[in-house]
Amino acid sequence: MTSEKLLSVENLRVLFNTRNGQTVAVENLSFSLEAGKVLGIVGESGSGKSVACYALMGLIPSPPGKIESGRALFHGKDLLTASEAELRHLRGNKIAMIFQDPMTCLNPYMRIADQLIEVLSHHKKMSKKEARAKAIASLIEVGIKDAETRINEYPHQFSGGMRQRVMIAMALLAEPEILIADEPTTALDVTVQAQILALIKGLQKSHNLAVIFITHDLGVAAQMADDIIVMEKGKLVEQGTTETIFKLPTQEYTKALLRAVLTTAKPVASAAKLNEPSLLQVKNIQVGYAMPTGLLLNRKKQFARGVDNVSINIQRGEILGLVGESGSGKSTLGRSIIRLVDAQSGEVLFNGKNLLELSASNLKETRRSIQMIFQDPYASLNPRMTVFDTLAEPLLVHGIATKNTVLDCVNELMDDVGLDRRFIRKYPHEFSGGQRQRIAIARAIALKPQLIVADEPVSALDVTIRAQILALLLKLTQKHNLTMLFISHDMSVVRYLCDRVVVMQKGKLVEEGVTEQLFSAPQQEYTKQLLAAIPTL
Amino acid sequence: MSNSVLSAQLHHLEKGTSLTQDAFARLRKNKMAMTGFFILLFIIAISLLTPWIAPYSYEEQNLDLGASPPSAAHWLGTDILGRDQLTRIMYGSRISLMVGFIATAVALTIGVLWGAIAGFVGGHVDAVMMRIVDALYALPFTIFIILLTVIFGSSMLLLFLAIGAVEWLTMARIVRGQVLTIKRQEFVEAAVSMGLSPWRIISRHLIPNVIGTVIIYTTLTIPSVILLESFLSFLGLGIQPPASSWGSLISGGVETMEEYPWLLLFPGLVLTITLFSLNFLGDGLRDALDPRASKD
Repeated sequence: MTSEKLLSVENLRVLFNTRNGQTVAVENLSFSLEAGKVLGIVGESGSGKSVACYALMGLIPSPPGKIESGRALFHGKDLLTASEAELRHLRGNKIAMIFQDPMTCLNPYMRIADQLIEVLSHHKKMSKKEARAKAIASLIEVGIKDAETRINEYPHQFSGGMRQRVMIAMALLAEPEILIADEPTTALDVTVQAQILALIKGLQKSHNLAVIFITHDLGVAAQMADDIIVMEKGKLVEQGTTETIFKLPTQEYTKALLRAVLTTAKPVASAAKLNEPSLLQVKNIQVGYAMPTGLLLNRKKQFARGVDNVSINIQRGEILGLVGESGSGKSTLGRSIIRLVDAQSGEVLFNGKNLLELSASNLKETRRSIQMIFQDPYASLNPRMTVFDTLAEPLLVHGIATKNTVLDCVNELMDDVGLDRRFIRKYPHEFSGGQRQRIAIARAIALKPQLIVADEPVSALDVTIRAQILALLLKLTQKHNLTMLFISHDMSVVRYLCDRVVVMQKGKLVEEGVTEQLFSAPQQEYTKQLLAAIPTL
Repeated sequence: MSNSVLSAQLHHLEKGTSLTQDAFARLRKNKMAMTGFFILLFIIAISLLTPWIAPYSYEEQNLDLGASPPSAAHWLGTDILGRDQLTRIMYGSRISLMVGFIATAVALTIGVLWGAIAGFVGGHVDAVMMRIVDALYALPFTIFIILLTVIFGSSMLLLFLAIGAVEWLTMARIVRGQVLTIKRQEFVEAAVSMGLSPWRIISRHLIPNVIGTVIIYTTLTIPSVILLESFLSFLGLGIQPPASSWGSLISGGVETMEEYPWLLLFPGLVLTITLFSLNFLGDGLRDALDPRASKD
């Protein structure tokens, strides 16, 4: 390795002062970045991977943050001791950054053109006309069609993927030497993610950029990076070329991360009996969102289609995967089954009863048999109730437990989901994301439901935690003979967990089939795209 | 096994820190807010103990003395009829604070329930309930209260109800807005899908989560209610002599401002200190309960 070291970071240590004392966000981190190479920084949330890069850019809010020691040499200049004026000159100009959420990084009140031209006139002192021409050229380069007209639009008129393209164009405008990409595709759909990754890789080659690519996703890192450093709890765990990290990991944590990447099919098939009558049959369901027009009480309702004429069947004891990208109507379908949203037409037959026609009082009984697990474990638990209250409430309301037995029931639930019984007097905010999701799962199984609708239950979780939660779901479905509708955008998760898969796109059912068949021989073009977009190791 | 046995069984387990406890821990570190809190506590204690510790009777006149400036016998002076000013302020605090707290409690109860129900049920119910609020908002409240006092005569009870009836409107709007955002959260959807009754969802899942905002707004409502009472008494619509409130004392003081400034100065000072204390406490509570503040 003789190539030039563009950036070298030595012994970086970043602290945060919190009410509970100091926490070390980054501990003694050293790495170097070579020109024209991609360095992947991999770690779970809280590993300090973003903080380290923000420190380089002088973007750590201080206080509470504090860079305690270290050096970061860029062209012989220490970024950590540089003055604010020097940093301003470097930021955007020599070192550019793209972020996870492109919507919050673009000013919603400014036209794209103005935002791009601002960068150029600030860093390059170009005339307005020149700057505009260059901005359009760069938009074309990142693959935005009709750049001439679209440059006059506002950020909200672009889709998520297009906005990320605009962000990339903006980052590259000043022709930086280093691009720091902080989880740039995490908020995007899988097919879009694949496009953006290819775009960044292409631009990196053509501009000979050095890229620091921060991600939690090993698959993405494998695809993008030449070298990888793995971080855990602020410390560097392992570094090496991408190949050595993946082929010959030496550290236990790296191995755990690799194991958590789900490449395997479902370990055990569920006990679904195909000849039995279905537990749940959804027939020609139509769900729309009301868009009120007119005034006050005589509002006319128009409907925007969320789910369009979809029929699915779930056998007793099976796990049915429902896949699709955002806006495909998969969550809406899941919610309409338990009547959290109202369907306009169609039937939902549960044990032969049409749920859509049930009166409010009958609905209460049926709801007991169908429970839901939500995506965000931070939002799905009442922050003002202890774990005990959260779990005891459904038991007491439905008369499953009495005051005498409720404690035993709650303890049993805690055992079931692998949480320590001693924690039941604690509040949700005292638990980690994975533990909270366990609590949410415990609440869902508390009523001994027949069907569980799980809406992206692992997509907000770190990879190692995700693997644990999936294993837990699998164990519980077997133990309690549960049937599950598993909604997800993540094909590898679906492959690991589900017996059958239904693919949805834009509110319509595209394809359905037994998991392994669908993965090995997809019939529809859209399914093929989805499968091709899975980053592989 | 009763509730108490159950809680005894839970008792040996490590107890979690609720968000509210967390917030109060933060509040205790806020010096301004705590100063406000203790001053308020002091004023409330004095007002409760007034009948026993007041140096004179509130209607005891001493016409020979007349209006006298502060002296050793009368620390805060006497009014034109020779009544002890300190005693009258102490008795006045009973009425002002009582109006402040009771009328606010009335506003709180109606407003929180109204707003929570409107927000949670939504649809036509929400539309009708909030249009009622709008309609009441549109009534000029002073005229409304004056009308009530004219019809029913001025009594303490009426004063509480009238002020409460005006103040609950804002509370209802605030709570409804909060409920609208909270009911979209997944834990409420989870509660719905568990088959809980609407009332249980409102009382156990929604209201506890808007309580932070409500507490903050309450500390801001109390001063505005005290001011409103002062204002009504100032107009001669509130408390009738010989009973006194801070408002009626100030109103009396204004008439004789030039000759006997202490009659305006002292009740005004006490009212100002109370309002400041409430506002500091309210500010402190807002910082303590706002989760974003927990970052620093």
